[in-house]
Parts: sequence; structure tokens; C-alpha cells
Amino acid sequence: MIALDNIHVVFGRGTPLEKKALSGVSLTIKEGSFTTVIGSNGAGKSTLLGVLAGDVIPTEGNVRIGNADVTKLPTAARAGRVARVFQDPLAGSCGALSIEENLALAHKRGQRRGFKLALGHSRRKLFRERIAELDLGLENRMTDRMAMLSGGQRQAVSLVMAMMAGCDVLLLDEHTAALDPGMAEFVMKLTEKIVGAKKLTTLMVTHSMRQALDYGDRTVMLHGGEIVLDVEGNNRRNLDVEDLIDMFRRVRGQTLDDDELLIAE
Amino acid sequence: MSQIALWGAVELGLVYAFVALGVYLAFRVLDFPDLTVDGTFPLGAAVTAVLIMAGINPWLAAVVSMLAGALAGLVTATLNVRFKILNLLASILTMIALFSVNLRVMGRPNVALLSVDTMLTPFYGHGFRDFMVRPVFLLALVIVALIVVWRYLESDAGLAMRATGANARMARAQGINTDRQIYLGIALSNALVALGGALFAQTNGFADVTSGVGTIVVGLAAVIIGETLFGTRRILIALIGCVVGSILYRIAIQLALSSDSLGLQASDLNLVTAVLVTFALVLPRLKRGVLLS
Repeated sequence: MIALDNIHVVFGRGTPLEKKALSGVSLTIKEGSFTTVIGSNGAGKSTLLGVLAGDVIPTEGNVRIGNADVTKLPTAARAGRVARVFQDPLAGSCGALSIEENLALAHKRGQRRGFKLALGHSRRKLFRERIAELDLGLENRMTDRMAMLSGGQRQAVSLVMAMMAGCDVLLLDEHTAALDPGMAEFVMKLTEKIVGAKKLTTLMVTHSMRQALDYGDRTVMLHGGEIVLDVEGNNRRNLDVEDLIDMFRRVRGQTLDDDELLIAE
Repeated sequence: MSQIALWGAVELGLVYAFVALGVYLAFRVLDFPDLTVDGTFPLGAAVTAVLIMAGINPWLAAVVSMLAGALAGLVTATLNVRFKILNLLASILTMIALFSVNLRVMGRPNVALLSVDTMLTPFYGHGFRDFMVRPVFLLALVIVALIVVWRYLESDAGLAMRATGANARMARAQGINTDRQIYLGIALSNALVALGGALFAQTNGFADVTSGVGTIVVGLAAVIIGETLFGTRRILIALIGCVVGSILYRIAIQLALSSDSLGLQASDLNLVTAVLVTFALVLPRLKRGVLLS
């Protein structure tokens, strides 16, 4: 379970550039549920994810992941509870290291790292098997540098990496946004398969309203640092993208411009 | 070049192989341009010389030198991590401070290690000439250091250090305390460089406060020559490249200085060094250019 309680985040407090990124967000996510988060630029989606990951320490409020209060824990200290796939395919893995080395890093996420060989025989075999499940032929390229892979391949490997060690929550930060449509669909199908098989508590931030409704079992819309919509169950099943755009329009209090139409796809 | 000059060049190359390994850790593994080494090399020499003159076992003296070097590295890392000073500037501050520290340690600008036992003393006089014994002894130590560094970098702990240098944000997301990795890596790097200094003092018979000038350039030259010749794909190959690079660099310098046709003299050393390093830096680009055209 994840519980955000009255989270406030203010950047640059006391300066002329003071910006309220989140204003009193409270959100409880049930164990094993898949929640999608939408909102326009500057709505607070990334900040929300940052608060959960530890990149952003809230100005006010409490964060609980699993059974622990992690409000003040920096990213590295809570990594054992949080698995994550970034938007930028280059951000979530080490381009200079090989595929298997990246998996070895992920294998020990949030655990003590000792002097054992990072790539012993049994681990190599395990990593190869996991990568083979992707069916991308990458199992024959285990010693290739991550930088040699395409963006989609990197995101697929990043998903495998996120699953190498246990976690209380999986955070997906617009992880298909930088991919071409075909690869984006592949990565989303893979995501669904993995999340479904492991019954992972998942939070996916997305720019695409289609994705937000097609995947998961609950959708939250952020605007101006607040939650303006929170639907699940039958209410959510009856929603389509048009309805979402309508709501979007209402909370913005203005007509949509081209930029916003783009996100309907 | 005479045979003695060649052996001498190899010997010096092996002493600086420790510097090259240290520089590799800081520059390549952690992506941390660390100029502290210009101060830690003479620090290692100074500590060893003073301790040996005080009657301490030369092996123990070398170990204490390494600790002193690690401490200097920790100062640089603290300035960078704790006080957010740019890494390059933090290392220059420590380097400048170490010049005074080294003078304090020795009490004077140089200390001679004549007629005292060094790590090498037990190995002299077994039928081999002294100028051959020294490189062989150093090579054995270099191999030990290389294996230790290699094994470390191939472990889970070492992989954490490599990830810190390659993608710090990703490393943190994997639960790696990147600050701690920088402390550890820079300390380790400077310990190796100080060991180089300690061995320099013991093989050459003196410690001099000015002997650190340009250490970083020499170390970097070795690393780059190694990368150019051996590539960077595998850790072990890259580390061997550092050692071979360091030796080749010294031989190249020796050749340049001893070639009559070039008309160079000993005081041209720094200029020759700069030209060689520039050449080593440009070479990979030239190679690529040739391949493309």
C-alpha cells in the first residue's frame, strides 16, 4: 500500500520564483492496484512521482510505502521499496555498461553490495533467461553496451531491471513517451504482462489519455498541483477519451488548443 | 638509448603505473577529474622517506603512505560532496594545501634515503644487477595492485562505483549511495598514487617536494595511451593498458630525450610531455577520421 497524506511541495520557497508544485495531495493506493496519472505540463505529475521515489522531499505531509514512513528518506535509501522506469531511455540504465552489468546492478537494488563477482556463472544464466523472455534477441547481446540498444530495447530492458529485485511499488514515468508508436505499444503490452503477473502496486504517469484509460484500474488527474479527478470501477469503464478532454477543459476553464489535442492520442 | 636507460625508463614507468591505476579510477570510473594526485604523489614519497629515516620498516612506511594518500583524497571528496565545490577546483585546493603539508612532513624540501634499508634491499645482491632488480620487483607489486583493482571493479561493490561515474541518477535509483562511492573511489585512487610516490622514494633514494609537478598529466597520458592501444571494452584490458601505457610513455620520453638528432635536453622534459599527451589525446580522433574518410 502507498499513502500520501496532505503533500505540499514548494520549490524555491521565499524567492521570486517560488512555485507550488503540489498543494495538499492525499492519495491512497491499494496493494496490487494499477493507477494511471494524467495532467498537463506543470500539473505536478513528475513532482508526485519524485515524492514517491525520494528525488523530491515534501515541504509538508507524509509518505508511506508498504509499512514504512519514507517521507524523509533520500532516493538511495528507499530504493529497495521502489522500482522505477524513467521517461528518458538513457536515464534508467548505464549506457557505458553492458546489458548484463546493468542487470547485475538492478539485481542488488536496495541491498548491500559486497565483493562477490557481479557476473558469476549462475547470475549470467539468470540474466540471460530474463532477457530471453523479451523475445527481442537481446539474450545474444548480453555483453553489448546498453548504449548500443535502441530506445525501445532500452526501455524493455529497464522493465526487466525493475523486476530483478523485489519492490513495494513500481513507478512508470511516461516510460513510452520517447518511443515510436510500435515500440511504445510493445513496451506497454510488456508492462501490462509483468504488472499483471506479479500483482504489482503500480503508478504510471502518462501524457496519453488513451493509455490512462486503457491500462490500469484507476485514473487520477492532476491540475495545478491538486487532484481534480479520481475515478475507478464502473465510473471509469464508462469514460472515454472525449469525456476526459471535457473534464480537462472544464478544470482549465478554457478551450483546448492544438497542444492539448495531441495528448488525446 | 643504452640498456641501462631502457631499464630505467621501464622502472619509472612501473612506478607511475600506480599513478595511472589511480587516475583511471578517478577519471574513468568515477568521471572525477582529480588533480589532488600532484600533491599525493610527493606526500607518499615524503611520508615514506621520513618514516624510513626514523627507523620504521619500509613496507609499513609504504602502507602509512597509502593511508596518508587516502586521507588527502577524502579531503578532496569532502570539499566536493559535502561543500559542493566543483570537483576540479576541490582537487586543486587540496593539491595546493598539500605542498605546504609535504614541506611540514619532511621539515625541508627534500630527504635523501642513503644507506638505509628499503623494500628493495633484501632483493639486491642475488647475482642480478640492481637496475634490473628494481623493475622486476615493481612489476610484481603492480600485478598485485592490478589484480586487486580488477577484482574490485568486477564485484557488486565495484559495479556500484562504475555506475556512480556512468549515471549517478540511475545509481541512486538502484539504491547506491553515490556520495559514499565518491569518498571511497577518490580515497582509493589517491592511496594508489601515494603508493607510487612511496615506491618512487624507495627506488630513487630520495623524496622531493617538487616531484609531484605534472603527476596528473603523466597519469592521464598513461591511461590515454593504454586506451588508444588496447581499447576500453573490458576492465582487465583497460587496467593492463594503464600499466603498459605508463611504461611506453616513459620509453617514448627517454627516446625523445636521448635522440641526438632531435637536439633535446633534460630541461625540455615538460614540453615533450605536453606534446606527447596532446598527441595521445588527438590520436584516437585522427584514427577515427582516417577510418571515416
